Amino acid sequence: MTNLLVIKEQLIGFFSRFEAYIKAVIKFLISMVALLLINSDLGYMSKIDNGALVLIVSLLCSFLPMNLIVIILGGFILLHLYALSLECALVVGIVFVILFVVYLRFAPTDSASVILMPICYMLKIPYVVPLTLGYVGNPMSCVATACGTVIYYMLEYVKANAEQISSLGSDAESALGSFKYLIDGLLGDDEMLLMVITSAVVVIAVYMIKSLPIDYSWKIALGMGVVVNVLIILIGCSALEVDMSIGGVFVSTMISAIIVLIIQFFIFNVDYSRTENVQFEDDEYYYYVKAIPKVSVEAPDVNVKRFSLYDEDDEEVYENMHEEFYAQEQ
Amino acid sequence: MLNEDRIELMTKMAAYENRQGKKDMPINSYFRGDYISFQVLKSALYATVGFALAVAMYILYDIEGFLTDFYKMDIPEFVKDMGVKYAIVLAVYLLISYFVYAFRFTRAKKHIKKYVAQLKELEEMYEWE
Repeated sequence: MTNLLVIKEQLIGFFSRFEAYIKAVIKFLISMVALLLINSDLGYMSKIDNGALVLIVSLLCSFLPMNLIVIILGGFILLHLYALSLECALVVGIVFVILFVVYLRFAPTDSASVILMPICYMLKIPYVVPLTLGYVGNPMSCVATACGTVIYYMLEYVKANAEQISSLGSDAESALGSFKYLIDGLLGDDEMLLMVITSAVVVIAVYMIKSLPIDYSWKIALGMGVVVNVLIILIGCSALEVDMSIGGVFVSTMISAIIVLIIQFFIFNVDYSRTENVQFEDDEYYYYVKAIPKVSVEAPDVNVKRFSLYDEDDEEVYENMHEEFYAQEQ
Repeated sequence: MLNEDRIELMTKMAAYENRQGKKDMPINSYFRGDYISFQVLKSALYATVGFALAVAMYILYDIEGFLTDFYKMDIPEFVKDMGVKYAIVLAVYLLISYFVYAFRFTRAKKHIKKYVAQLKELEEMYEWE
């Protein structure tokens, strides 16, 4: 355990010192993974399904704000869908704008989770995001998880029904009817509805419990988050007649909880101070200050010696201490 | 001479100005009521755009039926129906915005209060010299 704590301290020190670079690398990795997944899953427009382009765009993304990255990824998705079917791109585009309007107003700082949510779905551990957001976000973060969920299920639907969708609307008359088919398929998924509700409730539950002024509120919050997650899915499956493997949900929730525990231990449990580069001036000087947080690595060989004043064996020691003390006083 | 205590305080303040302060300062220039009503109004605009798009989707959903029935349709009834739905969506959206922005205002005020206290401390440091 002590070793782990030392590693943790070092990590925090490293992170707070090189925050600016690490953030850029993380942004680069997130956008590259997302772009590669979009290209491999949708890949209908061959022009943008191109490794070099992905690399250039992700390099660009590493310097852009998260919200802009979301828009760029959305643009990639729409371009692919446009190549598949104009109607499909139109419907998904409208849904994107509606989601964006809600999300931009309430949770503009949680854009990373909008991207991470679909990625986690593909990795089969979607519960990591709502559980983590309960800790680092606020109740409004449920908007971001909802957006991520809707995007994932829409893309899944398109991927599964690409052939039918591309044959839609070959003539003007069937084009009009195809909207009904598309909207039904894209938004009529009960599993999507269930996951939107579950993730929202989990975010709010974890947030509320972790803010309670009780001992171990962080641990209880995670436990309750897991229970709430499984329970809602169980109830939802029977109420909405959704076919989900309960064993799978349970295992995935457990794995998610373990990942959240690890993330919590290393990153979120501490309010780390970061390197600050600031400039200011007074009457006499200009100041260019770089403030680097001190890293205190706990010494691994902590020696705790216990003794009781009333223990017979220790009585002599105690008396000696007394005598020494009085001798010094006099 | 460099006064280390003062530099430390000024660094803290400058760090706040660079990060959270950038968000808090604009909020501080409003009265509470003004800020919240302005933000709620902005939310109303967003909600209207969202609702308009949702209506567009609703019409697209059954566009064939909509086009064939258009002349037989009871337009005032349709508009009234949409109006009621719009009002409900708007009310829910605005209520949530009210709470969110009231919270943000209170939080910003708290930060600013701390910042002002630091400013005073800085002033006192100068007076001591």
